[in-house]
Amino acid sequence: MSRLSVEAGTEKRGTILKVYGFLIFVFLYIPLVVVIVFSFSPTKTIVGMSGVTLKWYKELARDAELLKALLHSVEIGVLAVVISLLFGTSGAFFITRVRFPGKGVLRAIILLPYILPGIIMGLTLLIFVRSLHIPLSMLTVLMGHVSFTTPIVLFQVSSRILRLGPTYKMAAMDLGATPVKAFIFVTLPMIRTALIGAALLAFTVSFDEIVISYFLTGTWMTLPVYLYGMLRFGLSPKVYAVSGFILALSLSLILLMTRYIGSSAEVVVPRKKLIKASR
Amino acid sequence: MNNRYSLRKEPLFDKPREFIKGIPIIVWLLFLVIIPFAFTIAMSFYSSKGLVIEKSFTLANYIKFFTEPIYPRILLKSLRLALSVAVIALGAAYPVAYMVSFKLKRGKNLLFMMCIIPLWVSYLVRIIAWRSILGNRGVLNTILMWIGIIKEPLTIFLYNRFAIAITLTYITIPFVFIPVYTSLEKIPKSILNAASDLGANEMRTFLNVVLPLSMPGLITGFIFAFVIALGDYIIPLQLGGTQGIMFGNLIWSQFGFSFNWPFGAALGLILLVISVTILGLTAKYGSTEGGFLSE
Repeated sequence: MSRLSVEAGTEKRGTILKVYGFLIFVFLYIPLVVVIVFSFSPTKTIVGMSGVTLKWYKELARDAELLKALLHSVEIGVLAVVISLLFGTSGAFFITRVRFPGKGVLRAIILLPYILPGIIMGLTLLIFVRSLHIPLSMLTVLMGHVSFTTPIVLFQVSSRILRLGPTYKMAAMDLGATPVKAFIFVTLPMIRTALIGAALLAFTVSFDEIVISYFLTGTWMTLPVYLYGMLRFGLSPKVYAVSGFILALSLSLILLMTRYIGSSAEVVVPRKKLIKASR
Repeated sequence: MNNRYSLRKEPLFDKPREFIKGIPIIVWLLFLVIIPFAFTIAMSFYSSKGLVIEKSFTLANYIKFFTEPIYPRILLKSLRLALSVAVIALGAAYPVAYMVSFKLKRGKNLLFMMCIIPLWVSYLVRIIAWRSILGNRGVLNTILMWIGIIKEPLTIFLYNRFAIAITLTYITIPFVFIPVYTSLEKIPKSILNAASDLGANEMRTFLNVVLPLSMPGLITGFIFAFVIALGDYIIPLQLGGTQGIMFGNLIWSQFGFSFNWPFGAALGLILLVISVTILGLTAKYGSTEGGFLSE
């Protein structure tokens, strides 16, 4: 076989692969598009769709119960993020910087609430709080959310700490900084973007969560739980409008998140500043 | 060792004051994981009489599970469904990860993001989307009628195992994509050049080099998809109909209308043991970083 034909064959396979990939992307995005289209549709079906309307979104703004659920979701998200930043960040330093045996096991157990099927965390926490006669309330929902946002923060921050290495803090302390000063002026700025990224990710996951919340919710409902309740009466245009709203909010958070997660911004930012300064 | 050139032996434990950092996470672990699990284990040995939970030790819940054939049958059905979901999700995600990792010069990051964005988009919204696609007056029926393949809307799409499987596959694809992509990205491109210099064509390079090297990511992705599919209860509730009693919603019903918390606790612990055992395999054969929580 001549070299040329081999390359032609590879090219062909590459095309097939790209077509396949394209179809998978269609599969991934069609459902999201469907929800958005329906939320703007004046009629209930797509056949007779003529024009777009904001009617359903306007109706949402008048639904007091719904707005209350939205507020609850924001409250839970913010509280869960703040609490898990405390637990998760200190835990990240503990697990990366302190020597003790059995670290692998501890890491695995901490990860459990995030990777186990939500139903398991939901039912164990339900049994726990009801055995202590704690009524289902905002507190119980918050407990559920902190159980999975903490591993998110911990693992985001600890992978950043591992990448940084201990040398910076050592250098700071050689230059006379106390451990507290070294943390505030050296370590904290270096993990800042990881913290922001982790907070955004934790908030996004918390804002969308239903599997665990559903077990721990009484009358104090978050937005997904409220939306789930709406589904009992079938798929109404209002359901699509709430979905469209959640979708838009999630996507904005994700886009914001990409600026912080996975980028070694610490290395890039100072260099950019240097270039600016030298100009 | 008394070799004075050997490295100073690292102590096993740090100084006690270092352990202050560990207090918050240990408190979290105790109150949100360990103690709740202890309560659940205890609950699984209680029994339920009507609306009252009797706190005397009994193995009845576990005996009930293993002796009444309906329960192992539901578990088996769920295991089979989870297996097929994991296989299909792998079949969908692997080629895409391969394409994004090896075939693209531009737009790699964009496509990577596009693969994982559905992961962070509301789980419930995605379920609603599938209900509206598969439903009686849904998108699929509308399109088929518009093309003229069918005259009346078909009810075969929703409220069955097919609907559960397709939605679970949709949910799990990003979970498979991420570890596979991460493991493919770790393969040094020089190895691929070496294989091609030695005369291997793309297929051969793939089978003998890329596939074995990406095996940890593949296994991790497969296992995540499997565990997620096995433990889900909302998708069977929303899309499963009468055919859709899976292990997840069997557990859920014990806390809902059946109101048999001790039996629900036992079922939950059975699911826990299965999940942890399977997830444990990732520690042995999978990639250590699943890539979800580490950057």
